[in-house]
Amino acid sequence: MKYFRLLITNLFRNKLRTLLTASSIGASIFLVATLMTVLDELTNPPETPDSALRLVVRHKISLFNTLPTSYREKIAAVDGVEAVIGSMWFGGLYNHQGTEIGLAQFASDTDQFFQMYPDMVVPEEQKQAFLQDRSGALVGRTVAERFGWQVGQTIHTGSNLFPTEVELTIRAIYEAGGDEGGSVYFHWDYFNELMNDNGVTGTFSIRASSPEMLSAIAEEVDGLFKNSMAPTKTETEKAFIMGFVSMLGNVQFLISSICLAVIFAVSLVAANTMAMSIRERVREIGILKTLGFRKAQVLGLLLSESLFLAMSGAALGALSARVIFQSVPMQAISNGFIQDFEVRFSTIGICVLIGAVIGLIAAGLPAWRAARRPTLEALQSVG
Amino acid sequence: MKIPFRYNLRSLWVRRVGTFMTALGIGLTVAILVAMMALIDGLDSTFVNTGYPNDLVVIRQGSQNETNSYLDRNIFPRVRFLPEVARDENDEPWASGELIVVINHERIAGENESSNIVVRGAGNRSFEMRPEVRIVEGRRFAKGVRELIVSRSLSRRFKHMKLGDTLPIAQSEWTVVGIFDAGGTAYDSEIWGDYDEIALAWSRPIYTSFLVRAKNEEGRAALARRIEEDRNIELQAIPQTEYYEGQTISSVGLKALGVFIAVVMGIGSCFAAMNMMYGTVMARFKEIGTLRALGFRRRSILASFLAESVLLALLGGVLGCVMALPVHGISTGTTNFASFSEVLFHFRITPEIIFRAIVFVSLVGIAGGLLPAARAARVRLIDVMRD
Repeated sequence: MKYFRLLITNLFRNKLRTLLTASSIGASIFLVATLMTVLDELTNPPETPDSALRLVVRHKISLFNTLPTSYREKIAAVDGVEAVIGSMWFGGLYNHQGTEIGLAQFASDTDQFFQMYPDMVVPEEQKQAFLQDRSGALVGRTVAERFGWQVGQTIHTGSNLFPTEVELTIRAIYEAGGDEGGSVYFHWDYFNELMNDNGVTGTFSIRASSPEMLSAIAEEVDGLFKNSMAPTKTETEKAFIMGFVSMLGNVQFLISSICLAVIFAVSLVAANTMAMSIRERVREIGILKTLGFRKAQVLGLLLSESLFLAMSGAALGALSARVIFQSVPMQAISNGFIQDFEVRFSTIGICVLIGAVIGLIAAGLPAWRAARRPTLEALQSVG
Repeated sequence: MKIPFRYNLRSLWVRRVGTFMTALGIGLTVAILVAMMALIDGLDSTFVNTGYPNDLVVIRQGSQNETNSYLDRNIFPRVRFLPEVARDENDEPWASGELIVVINHERIAGENESSNIVVRGAGNRSFEMRPEVRIVEGRRFAKGVRELIVSRSLSRRFKHMKLGDTLPIAQSEWTVVGIFDAGGTAYDSEIWGDYDEIALAWSRPIYTSFLVRAKNEEGRAALARRIEEDRNIELQAIPQTEYYEGQTISSVGLKALGVFIAVVMGIGSCFAAMNMMYGTVMARFKEIGTLRALGFRRRSILASFLAESVLLALLGGVLGCVMALPVHGISTGTTNFASFSEVLFHFRITPEIIFRAIVFVSLVGIAGGLLPAARAARVRLIDVMRD
């Protein structure tokens, strides 16, 4: 560390170049941090101890096919099932300031709703108010904030699936839960009445008594309906969510290739800068060696300089991504597709490591060359 | 007087390693952008190339898409025999009643990865009204049997979809008797089968959409109005081209991502170009002094260095386009957000994309070169002599 001042002085000899290099690394790492967070959002849905206990039952053919609500009792009788509720995707459309915006709106069985989702944070009196009002709605905090909804307010939502419109009174606002506060729930009974009592639902959610029971329950449920008109597919909530991500196509490949190309590009840029900077200092390095610095020390000095520069640029880029996205309403921009966009500290850590790799690649060859150059030749150099 | 352009070319050549590295760095950014644009263009063109303007897609009001729509079977004759509907030589109306169902099916690649696929219950008219759908292997499905034809793109990407395969769906077994090609339209992401068989197997004795042909462009609006005005049957009639163009919303996310990358990497590339140019200006301090002594104007020097920066960036642009070329034609798939089912398409690099890439790098070159060029123009002879 005794050479730290020398390192800093060297970095600041050409402030503009240092600043520009750090900025171009920063910009690239900003992008990498953002893309990594997007990928993380998509491939690692937030999992809580409660969500790990849940299974989702859907029609085997696809989500477009409905299930009869009579299945509910049969599922409830399966060993290890603590609670079961049916939910129907409503395809909700809400007219917000003149534009129709799609809602993640579900018509759900409410009797066991909060047993199913104990991870939802709702004030007790709001819970009761929602359960008691047949046309009541339970909405997520993020949706409520987006549209400026208050408890007690009446909202109208249309649907792109059903030829109907519902009038709902917001009775409760929840936070967290599996969907991070992005959905709207209302009573399935009310929906069924509008549908002329046709008794269908989209999916069933099951809460298992313990994680060990999950696969046995899934197997038994699918076995129950195997030869019926509507065979089912039961999977964990996480697998169910991942199913949607897999539909997007090979996002993982797309995003990783972009990240790799960006990192490679910025390594080239940094290498060029380091080469310029070292070339200008050939004489100086000769003097250092005359003063008794060894090759390894010179190499170490030059490499640490580059490492320091690249890592601070990377840290700056990743940290600014974190700060910037804290104030960007990603949920509204992505129309609910991205729920909770936070650049995690672990991501920032990885970015700084990427910075280190960039720094090493950039300075490696020129620093090695400079350190190996015979002292006399270096001293004769005119730079 | 203008400084000869050869001066810039030679200057870049003298520093060829640095020039090449900077250009390659910019080039990689351009390559990413070109590939992104090719992806978006490929996806969009699938929808834009689908349909005929005089054919109307009729669906239930408010349903927005065939997959969400359902129409009573007895409505079809009412729409079909409207006087505004075009007729063929046998006086039969040009109209096709179809049923869309969706299956969730496993891909060949990736373990347990699956996606929703549109299955269209079709009839003779479905083919006649979409001449782009051509059988390339096997034959059409027969009436009254559980046979299916699958698009070539789907058959390559999904399990059990090769010619002769048995596809187990809806509790019965279906034989793949034909592979079709729909010329890069949205139908290249579909499976077709006999309407009656599909309606029976899914127990959905309904239509999800009608396709009806207007006599001509003038008659189109009249036909649409006629269909939509009938209060007893709440229908919506959309020109087929418009209907598919509306599905380009599927690429909104990719577009946002593309713009974001362009902006961030554009800024990053500007810094890179600026760094290189500042380096070159500083290294050529004496040279610039000489140019000034020879009588070249400050603005000539400014122009010359700016040109050099743009040239450097353009070199990167060309490298980037060349690097991105191999993605052209690669086939891939994503979800069509309008129908919530798989859409297959190819990366498509068009001249317009290349043009946009070149404009982008030129801007990078100008923005990155402006300050260093201004610095070069400000070089004073007196300082050079003292140095």
